[in-house]
Amino acid sequence: MAKEVFMPKLSSTMSIGTLLQWFKEVGDYVEVGEPLFEIMTDKINIEVESYEEGTLLKKYAKVDEDVPVNAVIGYIGEKGEEVPEQPPVYSKEDVEDTGLETMSEKEELKNDQNLLKQGKIRATPAAKRVAAEHNIELSSIQGTGPEGRIQEQDVRDSFDQKRVLSTPLAGKIAMENNLDIGAIAGTGSRGKIVKSDVLTHMNIKESVDTVPEIWKLSGLRKVIAQKMTESVQTIPHVTLTSEVDMSNAVSLRRALLPTIEQQTGYRLSYTEIIMKAVSYALRLHPRLNASLVENEIIMNHDIHIGLAVALDDALIVPSVKQADTKGLAELTKTSKMLGEKARNNQLSPEEMSGSTFTISNLGMYAIDGFTPIINPPETAILGVGRIMDKPVIVNGEVAVRPMMVTSLSFDHRAIDGAPAAAFLTELKSLLEDPYRWLV
Amino acid sequence: MDKFDVAVIGGGPGGYVAAARAAKSGFSVALIEARELGGTCLNRGCIPSKTMLKHAELIDQMKKARSYGITVNDISCSLPEMVQRKNKIVNQLRNGINGLLKQNNITFFHGYGVVQADKTIQIQLANETNYSIQSNHIILATGSKPFVPQIEGMNEVSFDTSDTIFDLKEIPSSLVIVGGGVIGLEIACVFHSLGSKVEIVEMAERILPSEDEATATFLAEQLEQKGILLHTGTKIIGLKKAKKTTVEIETKGERIQLQTERLLISAGRTPNLSGTEELPLEFTNGFIQVDQHMQTSIPGIYAIGDVIGGYQLAHVASHEGLQAVGHILGEKPASNIAVPRCVYTFPEIASVGMTEEQAKEAGYQVRIKKVDLTGNGKAIASGENQGFMKLIADKQYGEILGVVMVGAHVTEMISQATAFIHLEATVEEIETMIFPHPTASESLFETAAAWLGKGIHYN
Repeated sequence: MAKEVFMPKLSSTMSIGTLLQWFKEVGDYVEVGEPLFEIMTDKINIEVESYEEGTLLKKYAKVDEDVPVNAVIGYIGEKGEEVPEQPPVYSKEDVEDTGLETMSEKEELKNDQNLLKQGKIRATPAAKRVAAEHNIELSSIQGTGPEGRIQEQDVRDSFDQKRVLSTPLAGKIAMENNLDIGAIAGTGSRGKIVKSDVLTHMNIKESVDTVPEIWKLSGLRKVIAQKMTESVQTIPHVTLTSEVDMSNAVSLRRALLPTIEQQTGYRLSYTEIIMKAVSYALRLHPRLNASLVENEIIMNHDIHIGLAVALDDALIVPSVKQADTKGLAELTKTSKMLGEKARNNQLSPEEMSGSTFTISNLGMYAIDGFTPIINPPETAILGVGRIMDKPVIVNGEVAVRPMMVTSLSFDHRAIDGAPAAAFLTELKSLLEDPYRWLV
Repeated sequence: MDKFDVAVIGGGPGGYVAAARAAKSGFSVALIEARELGGTCLNRGCIPSKTMLKHAELIDQMKKARSYGITVNDISCSLPEMVQRKNKIVNQLRNGINGLLKQNNITFFHGYGVVQADKTIQIQLANETNYSIQSNHIILATGSKPFVPQIEGMNEVSFDTSDTIFDLKEIPSSLVIVGGGVIGLEIACVFHSLGSKVEIVEMAERILPSEDEATATFLAEQLEQKGILLHTGTKIIGLKKAKKTTVEIETKGERIQLQTERLLISAGRTPNLSGTEELPLEFTNGFIQVDQHMQTSIPGIYAIGDVIGGYQLAHVASHEGLQAVGHILGEKPASNIAVPRCVYTFPEIASVGMTEEQAKEAGYQVRIKKVDLTGNGKAIASGENQGFMKLIADKQYGEILGVVMVGAHVTEMISQATAFIHLEATVEEIETMIFPHPTASESLFETAAAWLGKGIHYN
């Protein structure tokens, strides 16, 4: 009984195969494993071998015809056997019902196993042609097709690789130094890699690979590392930013600068003005002044503002106690003294602890906004950027105003977005209209 | 005024090669030569000496033939006929260069060119007329001339240099050669074979100071065995004219007087700067200073060959000429080209790359292997088994740093070593190559195999 020749399904995505050529004519004797026809799928060209032995009785598919997978494209059987004039048509259901797909997959597997068993080099005709044209041994090429079948591109890639020419000496130096010779640019004739190319490459590599200086995390650095990691890993941070028109704050500072300097010997800076506004806003929005310890939100009554101070290779946060009760002169004095003590490593444990909200001011740098990390158990931190003249719209007109970005990170476990936003909005309005504090 | 892309001053092996390459690259080229085409090499150097050396070799072989069972009676030499043959050869080659110039449409000015800083060249032609040309690029290839040191009594006596020695009318009975460098030694071999009593006076402690010590020592032994007298570490005190020329020397604290029919001064060569006097050039040790592109301190003016110093060899001059044209064409300069060096004494010396001393100084982990020619079949059969091959290579990668060959025909064999170095082959590649047997050249295989500890006939 004659056996059908099917269009094989070679991959799960293959639905149609284009018949490129028949290797046999009707009437030819075909052995199992002999290439019968070649198809092109969406991915590759491939030769299909016969799974049957016998005479090719019929060819339904013509060259360049697109044939659905599992469709019958011919018959193999006894010479003289009768086969249908037209290919049998299967409905989709039929195909599935008759289990043709499974059969095809089984055959595919069988085909692959045959290939492995034979240990033959499998290559597409195109690959064979290109290899022959360029006098390349197929056995030297690694195929990337199904089951390692060599495709035309593999052959082309291989002679691109073979173009990596190097002198014996260059090759040896590269090998002994574990260098990928293919990564080295050749300057010899026809791009041949010579000794000097390898040495140049090694020098470049060496300069890249210069052994870095290694510092072990220790002391304050280690504490900072642990605290930062803990904060970031345990606290769901959300950062809100808002741009503040600092015109009035600038005037305020200018007005008070001489007085405060005379009184305290310290110069009033924006940090203290912001600290004052923050303290005022925290009084109105106490949730932002809360601490979160284990499962408890502690509503701190006292407002102690932590002030991030940068040291040579560390960050320390002394706290300005009862900041809301202090005037700008006293805040200035306290902040400056704490800063000095921090830099001189003279802070008492008392001065370093107890803050309920932290301000981190990077305004002396070219920084606008950033995402500050909360200093636990606090639940919020304010990041302060630089004050910069920017064009803004005031009453429908473009005006130049000193603008400053404030970035508020809050602990979403303790506070939700709306109250945090309300706080930041309050702070913005307090900074834009500092006279409100006087009310 | 005629304008050219490239003008070359000097028609020696540096100049004419540069001119030919420039012309073949599509430039309009002028070549100016005051004397004969071919320069020192062809007219007063390489070619005349090789011609005379061939004559000398033949005499030596005929004498030696007796020990092979071949008796040659009545050997007689006619120096005028030898010189005539030499002149014929020189003429033939000169005509070849002339043809090359024509073939490449190079405008040849036979005259004396003086280069100006604005790149015009005033040429006083051989027929006394003056001519001016201008060129975008100028290559100075003016070469060198024999250096003659001031010696007391010099004006009293007549002496030869390599410029005149190959035109002697008769074979001198005796010849004192001042200078034991390459030129002096080759000429010593010629006249020794012709029957002159030859003595060499060298100021340095050994002959051939430019080559590897073992090589120089070996050659000294060979020359002394022949009967050439070597006075090394010897100062010339003065010259006197008596019946013969008296050369008073001081050697090892002792004053001796050498009596000689002829005196050859071969104490090195000095750059020929004529025609470049008007240029504000920079100099290094009296030689024109050039950069890696052979460009002088004046952009667009190049200098090549003996006039820039370094190895004063024809093939180096040619290579430098090609480098200069390459730069004009905008090509990248070739780097670290190994230069072969040949000495055509009996036996010959050929070397390439670094000497043992240079390789050690350069910081390589040097391993040396020397294999004698004494046991080489072809060399024994030819009665030419005096010599050795020496491989200087780096232990780490087997990089071939230098090769020295001493023996008959080694000047024809050194190019295989040069090829290995040029193509960056390592000792392993020499060892895996098949060398024909029997040849003297297979000694290089033996040397490489022995270097790798895999020697068949040598360890």
